[in-house]
Amino acid sequence: MSEAVIEIRNLSKIYRDFWGRKKVQAVKSLSMDVEKGEVFGLLGPNGSGKTTTLKMLLGLLFPTSGEMKILGRPASDVSKNERIGYLPEESYLYRFLNADETLDFYGRLFNMSVADRAKRADELIEMVGLGRARRRQLKEYSKGMTRRIGLAQALINDPDLVLLDEPTSGLDPLGTREMKDLIKQLKSQGKTVVLCSHQLADVQDVCDRIAVLFQGELKVLGRVDELLEVRDETLIRTPSLSAEVQAEVKAVLDKHNISDAEFTRPTADLEQLFLRTVRESGERPGRRFSTEEVAASSAASET
Amino acid sequence: MEFDINPYNFRLASQMWLQLIGLLAAISLVLSLVLAVARNGVGAGLKLFRDGLSGYLSDLANFSVRRVSALTRLTLLEAIRRRALYVFVMFAILLMFAGWFITDSNERPELQVSVHVTFLLTAISWLILPAVIFLSCWALPEDIRIRSLHTVVTKPARRLEIVVGRMAGLSIVTVIGLLVMGAIGLFWLNRRIPENAQAALECRVPQFGGLYFIDANGAPGVQGLNVGDVWAYRSHIEGNSRARAVWLFQDVDESALSPSADGDGQELLLECRFEAFRTIKGSETSIRQGISAQYTLTRNPREDAFGMLAVSEPLRPLSEALREGQYRIGANEARTLAERIRTAPDELRAGDYFALFNGAGSAATFLDTLELESLTAVSALFSAVSVSAQQAVQLLQQKENGARVEVPYEELADAVTALGDGLDEQADVMTEALPRIDVPLPSFHVAEYHDNEDDSTNLTRIPRTLQVKSPNSEMLARYLSGLLEEWNADGRLVSAGAVDAELTNELVSEMAISRLNAERLTAVLEAQLADGALVVDGDSTLKIADGSKWYSFMDRLIRAQELVSDDPDGWVVEKDLINDLLDSNGNLRVEVACMNSQMYLGMARPDLFIRKADQPFWKGYWKAILNIALMLMLVIVLGVTVSCIVKGPVALFFTLTFFLVGQFFHEFMVRKLAGVEEGMGTVESAILIAQHRNPQVGMDVSEATMSAVRAADGALEGVLWVFNAIVPDFTTFSRASAFVENRFDVPFYDVVIPAVMAFLGFMVPCVLIAGALLKFRELEAK
Repeated sequence: MSEAVIEIRNLSKIYRDFWGRKKVQAVKSLSMDVEKGEVFGLLGPNGSGKTTTLKMLLGLLFPTSGEMKILGRPASDVSKNERIGYLPEESYLYRFLNADETLDFYGRLFNMSVADRAKRADELIEMVGLGRARRRQLKEYSKGMTRRIGLAQALINDPDLVLLDEPTSGLDPLGTREMKDLIKQLKSQGKTVVLCSHQLADVQDVCDRIAVLFQGELKVLGRVDELLEVRDETLIRTPSLSAEVQAEVKAVLDKHNISDAEFTRPTADLEQLFLRTVRESGERPGRRFSTEEVAASSAASET
Repeated sequence: MEFDINPYNFRLASQMWLQLIGLLAAISLVLSLVLAVARNGVGAGLKLFRDGLSGYLSDLANFSVRRVSALTRLTLLEAIRRRALYVFVMFAILLMFAGWFITDSNERPELQVSVHVTFLLTAISWLILPAVIFLSCWALPEDIRIRSLHTVVTKPARRLEIVVGRMAGLSIVTVIGLLVMGAIGLFWLNRRIPENAQAALECRVPQFGGLYFIDANGAPGVQGLNVGDVWAYRSHIEGNSRARAVWLFQDVDESALSPSADGDGQELLLECRFEAFRTIKGSETSIRQGISAQYTLTRNPREDAFGMLAVSEPLRPLSEALREGQYRIGANEARTLAERIRTAPDELRAGDYFALFNGAGSAATFLDTLELESLTAVSALFSAVSVSAQQAVQLLQQKENGARVEVPYEELADAVTALGDGLDEQADVMTEALPRIDVPLPSFHVAEYHDNEDDSTNLTRIPRTLQVKSPNSEMLARYLSGLLEEWNADGRLVSAGAVDAELTNELVSEMAISRLNAERLTAVLEAQLADGALVVDGDSTLKIADGSKWYSFMDRLIRAQELVSDDPDGWVVEKDLINDLLDSNGNLRVEVACMNSQMYLGMARPDLFIRKADQPFWKGYWKAILNIALMLMLVIVLGVTVSCIVKGPVALFFTLTFFLVGQFFHEFMVRKLAGVEEGMGTVESAILIAQHRNPQVGMDVSEATMSAVRAADGALEGVLWVFNAIVPDFTTFSRASAFVENRFDVPFYDVVIPAVMAFLGFMVPCVLIAGALLKFRELEAK
């Protein structure tokens, strides 16, 4: 049986006003587990309670009732943070520090030695691609760069559990792809990742399991592949078929009384187009691509 | 501002601190428990309380200096990169143009120094203060607002560490700022103060003493005369009378002496600031010169022993005789007193019996402190009189209250008679054991108007070796008898059955006795030898024929005018300030007399002090800067603590209130709570104002309303008590500046240490409270 990294039981959170009167119940009797080594997505529209849940897990908010355990310890226990990495929704870092100083500062909070801090900072800056900007103060950073340094600080302690709040918000598609690759990489290293996001496509790409919250209640919980499987359709993928071959296939289907079969060319999604364009622009600078070239290139990448 | 401050009592302060902290901790715990149970029910509340407490204790146990240092460094970098240090630029600009605003009091060097130092220290503290309050109140709320604290608290950093890190970082910024400003300021002072006032840039080191008065009748008292001033800070002594102000400086030793101005030997500096009070205008010269005063350094054990007896009129003759060393006369006075008690006890009032109890008791106690075997008998007699008088006082009191008791006057009279007999018997012993030395110093003029004079007129330099010209008979007799006894023991007086022919020369060369006096002394010895009053004992020593002691022998000769000096300067006796003038406990007694009749001199305890060797100015200056640093650090601690629970502007308001109340109203609170401050309670005062009535008339309300108002005022006073306990007394920190501004050194143990302790005393609970406030606070509450 797999090991639960996060256990949540009957968790509720009520926000109150100054006089203690109830304003809103953000989370209602939430119970769920996150297993070790999986990528878990917390989904839901704005105000569904996913960020509140994440913040209760981190000890930034206190639950009104219910229990939470992270890595086997109560959420209020600060020592759990030794093995956790957290990337907030927006990277709220100290803007007067540069990248090196930022990582050094957070490294100190983990009681890391000078040598360890320097080594780890080099690795992470390399990983998030901020090598050229490491001496600039964060206030000069673009949003994407801020996101990257935010991610680097979340990983400074090589955590077992990474909590990411809207990890791809503010990132360009390239950055989004890298972030997703990184999440997969973390998973491959055996780490557990919990992320909150509105970007459903991203969640679909990287998550093993998801939970969908709505108005503080858990509505859906399960494996992504199982939840998204379309059980009453079959998809056959082949190289491009000639008209004759299509007619033959249609005849076979007619024989079996399948009349609503559809023959179309697949389209690549915009993300793929964007990534390809960027890659190829790097190889051939100064050229603009025609529609045919883009299509040919799409076909090439499809095969 | 008083520079003669009470000594710091570390033990008492610590005890009070522990009591208050214990009380605060107990109240906090009980309050938290009650709140937890009230909001969550008994079971969940208890669990919450237990978890919270154990979590907090675990935070304390896991406190990490490295994490704190990271947060400290962060704060430092923030202050530097956010340009918080612009305050220094303002300081520099202020100093550049300060000259425009500082009055140039050319004629008074010490005023010039005062004005500049005051300006500098005030500028330093009040320039940094706003920056410090702002930074400390805004740092944490701003971190919470922009959520940069979230990335910190989701690391293993304890919230207590965040608080400590913030406080430490801001404190370091402040201290660095103060060091820089202090150094620039010192440089500026040295450049800015004109040449003629540079010498006044010093730190005087005062040693204050205790003061009592002797009135014109010779009776001691804690106060002198009041010349009609309602707020009598100073007490006055009458001019040209027996009235004296007597200062007792305790534990005087060589450290009290300064190197002589001429660089040769040591001297004692006495600095005074007396007030003159004239009943007549006097001549113009006398106005210009001021009133004359005279110091007399005395070593007077008889005053200590028998002075208290003089408080009562009927006992005064006895006291006088004993203080003059006339013990046989004193014996007669005692017998007379005994007779009076025996025959007409009611002529003496209860107060006289009390004075007898008190005076005899203090005589016995003093004689015991001398630890001389020869005095035990007399001491026991005084003690017996005191016990007997005490009994009489008690019974008199009962009688006054209506009890039918017999006062044992007979017994008391017997005790006093026994004392008289004892004094007769022990007269010689007492004469030897209780020597009196008086060293009158030249009189000086007390400067009444300071317009054209500097303080040096009130500074008296007393050489360590004092030449006492024309000493009184007792001093001369003691001096000569001591000398002769010693030389006689060494066999230096007699040679070949007669007075040594070389004696005169030896006295002149070795004892610095003038030739005329030495010749007179030799001649007297020869005459006494011829008369047979002195005989040669053995080969080389002299013996007094009637067996009396050398002192009595010389005393008789002096009284018989045998030793009247032919020298125009008279006899000169040399006394060493430290070896001869300090009493057995190391105390120096200085008597001050006013010389002009119909004039009075007013004095209070700090008006006369021994000025020890001056310290360089920078020592006191940096101590004052240290105190300013402690004050600012305390403001930081308070600001950060308050900002853990409220937003920046509210924290600012609270911290500023704390500071202003602590700086300007703390003393008022203390006085109000002690009942010293005049006036009514808040509600009563409000009603009085509304009714247009004054405090003497009182409120025009019913009895019931009156009680309700008083109860409400009582409750408000309770609130005031709490305020008084939690608002730091910021004057503890500004006191050091006042010392330096008035050119005094800052006493380390009595001024610097209390400031350090006050800082620590508030810092420790504030850190704990701030840690708890931040720990149990939701950082994201909507």
